[in-house]
Amino acid sequence: MSRNLLSIRHLKADEIRDLIKTAQDFKKHVTAGKPIQNVPRRTVGLLFFEASTRTRVSFEQAASYLGYNISVFAAQSSSLSKGETLKDTVLTLKGERIEALVIRHRSSGSPQLAARFFGGPIVNAGDGEHEHPTQALGDALTILEQRKTIKGLKIAIVGDVLHSRVARSNAWLLSKLGAEVRFVGPKILMPASNALLPGMIYNDLLPGIQDCDVVMCLRLQKERMADGLLSSIGQYRRSYQINRETLKIAAPDCLVMHPGPINRGVEVDDWAADGPLSVIQRQIENGIFVRMAALTWVFETKTKPKATKTKKGATV
Amino acid sequence: MKIILKNGRILDPSTDLDVIGNVIIEDEQIAEIGDDVEIEEDADEIIDCTGLWITPGLVDMHTHLREPGEDHKETIVTGTQAAAAGGFTTIACMPNTTPPLDTPTLIDYILDKASAPDAGGVFVAPVGALTLRNLGEKVADLAALKKAGVVAVSDEGCPTQNALVMTRAMEFCQQLDLPIMAHCDEASLSEGGCMNEGPVSSLLGLKPLPRSAEEIMVMRNCLLALHTDCHVHIMRVSTWGAVEMVRQAKYLGARVTCETCPQYFALTDESMKDFDPNYKTTPPLRTPTDVDLIAQALADGTIDVIASDHSPHAAYEVQVPFDQAPFGMVGLESCVGVTLTFLTHPGHLSPLETIRKLSTAPAQILRLEAGTLSPGETPVAQVTLIDPELEWTFDVNKTFSKGKNTPFHGEKLKGKAVWTLCGSEIYRDQSFDESRSQVDMSEQSIEN
Repeated sequence: MSRNLLSIRHLKADEIRDLIKTAQDFKKHVTAGKPIQNVPRRTVGLLFFEASTRTRVSFEQAASYLGYNISVFAAQSSSLSKGETLKDTVLTLKGERIEALVIRHRSSGSPQLAARFFGGPIVNAGDGEHEHPTQALGDALTILEQRKTIKGLKIAIVGDVLHSRVARSNAWLLSKLGAEVRFVGPKILMPASNALLPGMIYNDLLPGIQDCDVVMCLRLQKERMADGLLSSIGQYRRSYQINRETLKIAAPDCLVMHPGPINRGVEVDDWAADGPLSVIQRQIENGIFVRMAALTWVFETKTKPKATKTKKGATV
Repeated sequence: MKIILKNGRILDPSTDLDVIGNVIIEDEQIAEIGDDVEIEEDADEIIDCTGLWITPGLVDMHTHLREPGEDHKETIVTGTQAAAAGGFTTIACMPNTTPPLDTPTLIDYILDKASAPDAGGVFVAPVGALTLRNLGEKVADLAALKKAGVVAVSDEGCPTQNALVMTRAMEFCQQLDLPIMAHCDEASLSEGGCMNEGPVSSLLGLKPLPRSAEEIMVMRNCLLALHTDCHVHIMRVSTWGAVEMVRQAKYLGARVTCETCPQYFALTDESMKDFDPNYKTTPPLRTPTDVDLIAQALADGTIDVIASDHSPHAAYEVQVPFDQAPFGMVGLESCVGVTLTFLTHPGHLSPLETIRKLSTAPAQILRLEAGTLSPGETPVAQVTLIDPELEWTFDVNKTFSKGKNTPFHGEKLKGKAVWTLCGSEIYRDQSFDESRSQVDMSEQSIEN
């Protein structure tokens, strides 16, 4: 039996903790140069309907550390560009004895659809403007390397929340672990309603990030200009950029995060991106370990028995 | 052939009749009706209608039969069978086919197919395309369409964005005395959208269809109706704001009528299970406030009609990500059940008013010889028997329609059309209690 990792929203806090704990264990092993043992070999399909380099490389690295075989299907190079439906692609890969699918798709909810036809586990690698669970798990792992717990932290997610799957997954994850989540950005880039989302909306930057322990910047897509949602990049930069000046109102040891790719000079300045508060580089690295955790977790039916008691360091 | 419907609750909104009584159908015509009709035991069939409603055959003014061109979704044969099974004896079919119904030849084609022996035996009243190719640019030859037999014209599937084109169309239609059925959607606001804008669209990360996209166009079409004195029928009202626009237009004296559909008083955007394209429709499922006010507007008469907006699609077309799925849901075979369950039984509409919305009002709007049980008012008798207390579960796998796209699959409903008569054609539902029927065997034995 297996399970899916389709969204953070549907996970229990214990499942999230379990995934992060597994990722921490993997990280210890990998950084110590020890091979990963006792993980059965699996064949996993990476199904990328939408162009992605970062997430794809991260999953490839994760699979390689686990000793998994991977098959990569990218939109430009396969039947995906020949008008085959998602259903048929998924059924084909099932026939090819692919054991799990990692799916990136431009349409919100497509991993849920794929799960209906695949039978085996599905990992959502980002669906439309809905969720990006493994990004949020990596971000949580990164925060936990710097802070003892997520509980009670004030966390601002700043920018284009409306179109951001990263914002949704992070809001769910961090709130489930007890953080106070704020969505910060211009009204036009905020969801129409946050009644069902776990975050307070702040339309002004400074009140939004005041006293925050973590500031997560979101990429400002260039298309938003074409859509007429912003009058100018300059206006946005002046009102919402996370930089040395605006960060003064956040907690002094505030962590600056960004899921990438960065529009340097737009949503963050050099100091915020590269300076002492930034953990952006760690986020990228930790992405690998949470994806290792995801790729093993989905093959299990229930929470793995704890192999080792939590030792020193972070408790999730 | 003589059929007697005995001891049923006769609901005929055309004469405001609501009595327990008998109906005698003789030679495909309604011969007698009322609570004082004496019956003799000389009929070919006597149906004991105790506990049943005897209503005029139901009229659906908004059905997609998909022919020509999209017979993988539905055909005139399967669509008319679905209509009969749902209690409908007359359906108006929409023009957004491939090609659209913009010429008399295509109207002839529809009428021919609908009268074929294998069809469902119900009347099909074609609605013509308002503009050529249904592109919203050039008004079709409406006089020719009318002569060919259309009962209205519509921009269904391609809401007319250009106000001048719509004004011209209304001026033509006013002269021709032809109603326009208007699909109200401001494309600049709705483009790319796939569900109601609100908490659920925000949660799921789906592009919104804002309510203003519908309301602005309802308002424009109401104002144009007022100024041209054209009869405009607003299709599928889904928001309280659109209801208010129609209410104002009626108050101002515009010749405006409107319809809503069962999904708009039975479901909200919150009913949608995760990304299930069976819930995708346009206008989209709205909010509990809209549902409440739609029910009120039906009760106070602002909304004239309940139409099915039967929109069948092939299974593979719906097995795609939500944003790529087509809009619409099937409705003919669930319409009565959903309406009685969500409107009539909770007390929003009386039985007589329910039947008015489902039969008499749409017939009057489209000037059809239907929607009445009065003797001699229809070319042939059209009668539906509804069991209002029948509890059943809607199962799409048992429907006649080719389309299986519906959010009501598995829904427990109360009330069902169990017997439909249209002239010589009779549909008896599986749930029709045959012990109600007493067939005179003597005549048959003589014939044998």
